[in-house]
Amino acid sequence: MPRKDLLDIVSLEREEIDHLLDQAVPFKELFTRSVKKVPALKGKSVLTLFYEPSTRTLSSFEVAANRLSADVTNFAVASSSIVKGESVRETVETLQAMRTDYIIVRHSRSGLPSTIARMTKASVINAGDGAHAHPTQALLDAFTIKEKFPDPTGKRVLIVGDILHSRVARSTSTILKKLGVEVAYLGPGSLVPKVGPENVQRFTNYEEAMKWKPDVVYLLRVQMERQDVQYFPSVREYHRLYGVTEERLRRIDGDGLYIMHPGPVNRGVELCDGVLDYSRSLINDQVENGIAVRMAVLYWLKPGGEVIG
Amino acid sequence: MSLLIRNARIASEDSATLREGDVLVEGGIIRSIGKGLSAPEGAKVIEANGRLVMPAMFDAHVHFREPGQEAKETIATGTEAAINGGITGIVMMPNTKPAIDSAPVVRMVLDSAAKNSRIPVYTSGCITKDRAGKELAGIDGMRGLGVKMLTDDGDSVADPAVLLRAMQYASEFGMFFASHCEVPELAGPRALNEGVVSYRLGIKGTPAAAEEIIIDRDIRLAHAAGAHIHIQHVSSKIGMETIRWWKQRGDVKVTAEVAPHHLLFTEEDIGDFDTHYKMNPPLRTKADTEALLQGLIEGVFDLIATDHAPHTPFEKSQDFVSAPNGITGLETALVSLYHYFVATGKFGWDLVVKRYSAEPRRMMGLEPVPVEEGRPADLILFDTEAETTFSLDFMKSKSRNTPFFDKTLKGRVDLVVLGDQILLER
Repeated sequence: MPRKDLLDIVSLEREEIDHLLDQAVPFKELFTRSVKKVPALKGKSVLTLFYEPSTRTLSSFEVAANRLSADVTNFAVASSSIVKGESVRETVETLQAMRTDYIIVRHSRSGLPSTIARMTKASVINAGDGAHAHPTQALLDAFTIKEKFPDPTGKRVLIVGDILHSRVARSTSTILKKLGVEVAYLGPGSLVPKVGPENVQRFTNYEEAMKWKPDVVYLLRVQMERQDVQYFPSVREYHRLYGVTEERLRRIDGDGLYIMHPGPVNRGVELCDGVLDYSRSLINDQVENGIAVRMAVLYWLKPGGEVIG
Repeated sequence: MSLLIRNARIASEDSATLREGDVLVEGGIIRSIGKGLSAPEGAKVIEANGRLVMPAMFDAHVHFREPGQEAKETIATGTEAAINGGITGIVMMPNTKPAIDSAPVVRMVLDSAAKNSRIPVYTSGCITKDRAGKELAGIDGMRGLGVKMLTDDGDSVADPAVLLRAMQYASEFGMFFASHCEVPELAGPRALNEGVVSYRLGIKGTPAAAEEIIIDRDIRLAHAAGAHIHIQHVSSKIGMETIRWWKQRGDVKVTAEVAPHHLLFTEEDIGDFDTHYKMNPPLRTKADTEALLQGLIEGVFDLIATDHAPHTPFEKSQDFVSAPNGITGLETALVSLYHYFVATGKFGWDLVVKRYSAEPRRMMGLEPVPVEEGRPADLILFDTEAETTFSLDFMKSKSRNTPFFDKTLKGRVDLVVLGDQILLER
């Protein structure tokens, strides 16, 4: 059964995840053709409502919607009534009156897309809310890992960095566990919650984490803008203790590990410069796959549910 | 008015056993209690058929939002909600706009209560001007109008020196202090407990330590000042144990309250960002809930108080972080205590009467209102077999921000009598 909204990964069934990942395969094949467009959502309206800055996620959704022949409108928050103090409810009521079919929301507040979804018949896609969830990122990460490991059961993914503030860590670890992947976190003790999800190992020491023998090292961007107090002494110290330094990159190469990163990369913080030429970096694959899985999501959701808010 | 309630079971704070008998009220006084009483001429007769007669409840922690935020609640609607829940006396918290921090604002509140309320309304006063934690409020002026409890509820007094001086000063006037316990620097956006749920939802939580530190700090300050300290709405196990430890020492006067929602719900109930479970202090874990219940049974908590905190539906329909803290409680407290605890044998009616009727009155310097001959009539009739649905039709509060909204629980308040008046009859 298709859903009205995609708000998180936690609520998705395994079958739904498999369906979305399978559906993304033919959409990705489309990219190799001269005409990269299908009429699947012709006449449907997609509205992007990004309260937070974003380049790759926003453009990825726009490209995905365009390739499905939907009409895409970018709701420019900076020049809207929102800056005049209009509440989210008023904004959503306005969009509802415009008969928008899909609303793609990014906001710094966790849970805001859920709130919007309760207020509108449009399908709401969470494009990242606070430190809560980023379901399409998780889907594209899972898709990227499945391209390398068609049966990912038992593979190991080490997620490194600011777990506490990362919606990517939450959603990607959730989807990977649903696919049978083992997940571990590595980062400073102040940024790796002790009471996190079940069945996720917690490391605060790089060497210990590497003894766990991961297949993929998934690096997160250190989000200084989300840190309201000091969580570690300096960026230099962070890079030394938790970053992929030149020396660590050589060891990762020797062990044949893949590297992933949701972008944008802080060079010299979580990653040394050399990693951008690393042969087993999947960072660009993630970007390309993002369009395919977002097409799959748009194609799958069905707007028009009951408004309960 | 004469009123004869026949074949009732009578609850008291002193005995777990319910007395059986008839209760005759005349001229606002409980004239006699016994079996086979005959009704005086013209008396109203109610066949109780085993329903309970008990002292009316008293809630020592409510927010009525007047003055300043009357869209949420007024003294008129708030007191009607209290009556609807079987409560005949309340203590208002002073975090109104303007804050209740001086004699003129106290007078404004009391004048409104005199005009708009059918039950006695007491108000607490601020410790500091505008609850800003800097300068002492107009303490003597408020005392002159009957204020006994001082609190900056909604916040702790951040500076311990200010609180200590206030305690040293106001204790000399016979006033006592109530503490909302929270270190602001640890409190985050004050939305939920720091734990598995805050991690899952991606919202910075408030650790229990933020509350426990101030519970201990404020009792220590009261100890130093020789003041009476009342700890409000305790939510954590270690907080409860801290209070127990200080009480066992016996060299400082400490009282404490627990709210029904902290006994009933945990952080897990928040589910998918349900703002009806957003309150401050936040809902914590099952271990905390179980410890709080044990603390109530043992008497670590002197009283039950709801922290009735009304908000408009518009405010509560925002995202979880933006929505204000607090749920209403006056209309649901007694029924929910019965449904979840008395009916399931966790504790008896004697505890309810003691903790939600007698002790809060004693803390405020008032006489309890037992159902005894010669006492003023201040009682309710409660049907343990009936049910209550907390629908919009039922609610008298302006707000409906309660997890019980549209839910049905066992138990119903059928009658509220205060002096010569029947305030409610169902």
